[in-house]
Amino acid sequence: MFKRVLIANRGEIAVRMVRACRDLGIAAIAVYEPGDEGALHVRLADEAYPIMAQLGYRDPDAMLAAARTSKVDAVLPGYGLISEHPGFAQACEAAGIAVVGPGSTVLSRVRDKVGAIAHARAVGIPTTQPSSRIFMPDEAQALLSEADSVGYPLVVKACAGGRGRGTFVARGPDDLLGVVRRSSAAAQSVYLDAQVYLEKAVLPSRYIEVPILGDHHGNLIHLGERDGSIQRNTRKVIEETPAPNLSQAQREAIWATAIQVARLFSCRSACTIEFVLDDEGNHFFTEVKPRLQVEHPVNEMVTRIDVVREQLRIAAGLPLGFAQEEVHLQGHAIFCRINAEDPWRGYLPSPGHITGFRIPGGPNVRVDTYAYAGAEIPVRYDSLLAKLVVWGPTREECIRRVHRALQEFQITGVQTNLALLWLILNDDAFIAGTYTTEFSRRRLLEMPPVSDYTTDLAAIVALAYLQRTQAAHRAIPEAFTSGWHRDSRRLPQ
Amino acid sequence: MRRFFVTINENDFEVEISGSPNIEGWIEVQVNGEPVRVRLPWSATSAHSAWAMVGNRPHEILIDHDLHWIQTTRGRHNVQIRDRDTPISRPRSGDGRVKAPIPGLIARILVEAGQYVEVGQPILVLEAMKMQNEITAPRSGTISMLNIQPGQSVKLHELLIEIS
Repeated sequence: MFKRVLIANRGEIAVRMVRACRDLGIAAIAVYEPGDEGALHVRLADEAYPIMAQLGYRDPDAMLAAARTSKVDAVLPGYGLISEHPGFAQACEAAGIAVVGPGSTVLSRVRDKVGAIAHARAVGIPTTQPSSRIFMPDEAQALLSEADSVGYPLVVKACAGGRGRGTFVARGPDDLLGVVRRSSAAAQSVYLDAQVYLEKAVLPSRYIEVPILGDHHGNLIHLGERDGSIQRNTRKVIEETPAPNLSQAQREAIWATAIQVARLFSCRSACTIEFVLDDEGNHFFTEVKPRLQVEHPVNEMVTRIDVVREQLRIAAGLPLGFAQEEVHLQGHAIFCRINAEDPWRGYLPSPGHITGFRIPGGPNVRVDTYAYAGAEIPVRYDSLLAKLVVWGPTREECIRRVHRALQEFQITGVQTNLALLWLILNDDAFIAGTYTTEFSRRRLLEMPPVSDYTTDLAAIVALAYLQRTQAAHRAIPEAFTSGWHRDSRRLPQ
Repeated sequence: MRRFFVTINENDFEVEISGSPNIEGWIEVQVNGEPVRVRLPWSATSAHSAWAMVGNRPHEILIDHDLHWIQTTRGRHNVQIRDRDTPISRPRSGDGRVKAPIPGLIARILVEAGQYVEVGQPILVLEAMKMQNEITAPRSGTISMLNIQPGQSVKLHELLIEIS
């Protein structure tokens, strides 16, 4: 097993990976950009090294230099940043440093999304229908004529990154180029990759994905499926496993295809095979995510498998310690992304100083976060603040437990989407488990009918008004009121 | 006795507050004629979380500084309050000055100086926290000032565009 591992990331996932190393008795070596040295992943690490390059965490050369300087024997890339960079993986392999992941060959193969779909289709795997090639955003004429042959509505997808960011629907030639520009700009700013491709839209659809683990000894298993169809503002916010409203036969068919795809691409370590389901329940392969995913803890909850631990063991050449029959999918798990953003103000990011941070507790509640009371949420990184993962023996009990965990969770100083998660959880389509990706267009019920709750709020509001007018215009520093404004009192749909 | 008309997301309530808080901080309140005792510890920093007790029911709340909304675990609710005895007029907001709501980078400018814009129309894209954030016009009018460039970094509350 490794002795020293470089944590090539930041934020909650870096904290998650430091924890996995510590649990295995491995020294965790952090990196930091200037300004990020006080972050939690640095505080918890055994050693920390600065990354001074302009691109910071996204600079593969600087990251390799940090790996050499710190004399680690492996690198844990996590998700985002350099995790899908074939050149980085190759350079590490050449330098004799293990990269925890599927390896540079797999990264290169699945990075060509259009080629990957064609490859799967050639061996008879049902797939989505992509464009014939990948495009740069300025190829206007080529994009328009390609879109005609793919057919509208279609999905414009950035080649880099996850399903939420950089994925937008174009309903006709009039909005195609605008959608391409948005998608491309989003991916360029995060992943430094402006390329896009088109895919025939399946509407309504469900996003189902299957995380897999593969070792270097031919063992390959899946950890059940999950549903990531609940989105707001084009980003996934709630995921759950098992996916609701699927028959056991459908589930098994999806798992079998996932394993078939994983074998086809020689997936090792942790990868995720992503599918789109149409309204008849047919599943179509769409892409391979060759890395740990943000939402991996939801499958950890139902399998009791520590995915990052397994990744480290696999990278060290050890065989998987269990077979598929020994993976028991027990109960139900729900995963919520808590973002520093204001859903009532167009999802505007809300960086700043966290003044209060109360984490939910109790049985079967897990929070992965880099935040704490007193932490700074910097403006230059992603708004993902915390991940809430809850388990219950049944879906119904799990939903109830998420409710109570959301009530316990309190964050002050920055605005968050906690109350939005509550509204989603109370939506009929969510409770019934019959939602699709069309959920993002649903209007959420913002106020229950008149009840004790509403009359109590009326009493509180009147009293607050009285207190304030009697306090005779006490000066309130702007720091306390900034980020709050009257123009955002309705949730955008 | 003070009487208020309170509207919370389209539901109307009449609230009467009589007397002053007792030694423990409880005050007698009537909502639509129903008496209830309320405790609301005073907090000057309203954007921080507050706690209140109404009868036997505890509530954790966040109250907007200008009392335009109240937020709980269950969502953010619009509030309107009218004091029957001392009507007040609120300062008008939306004077047409568009300031940076967060520090960031100007990704794109979608309007030109002199152009007429409708309220709610996207006028620029501000990149922050790895997101492209569309900033919309706070009112209808003509772009009378525009002194930013794409690629420029802007500070919190920096004046970007003015609509008159």
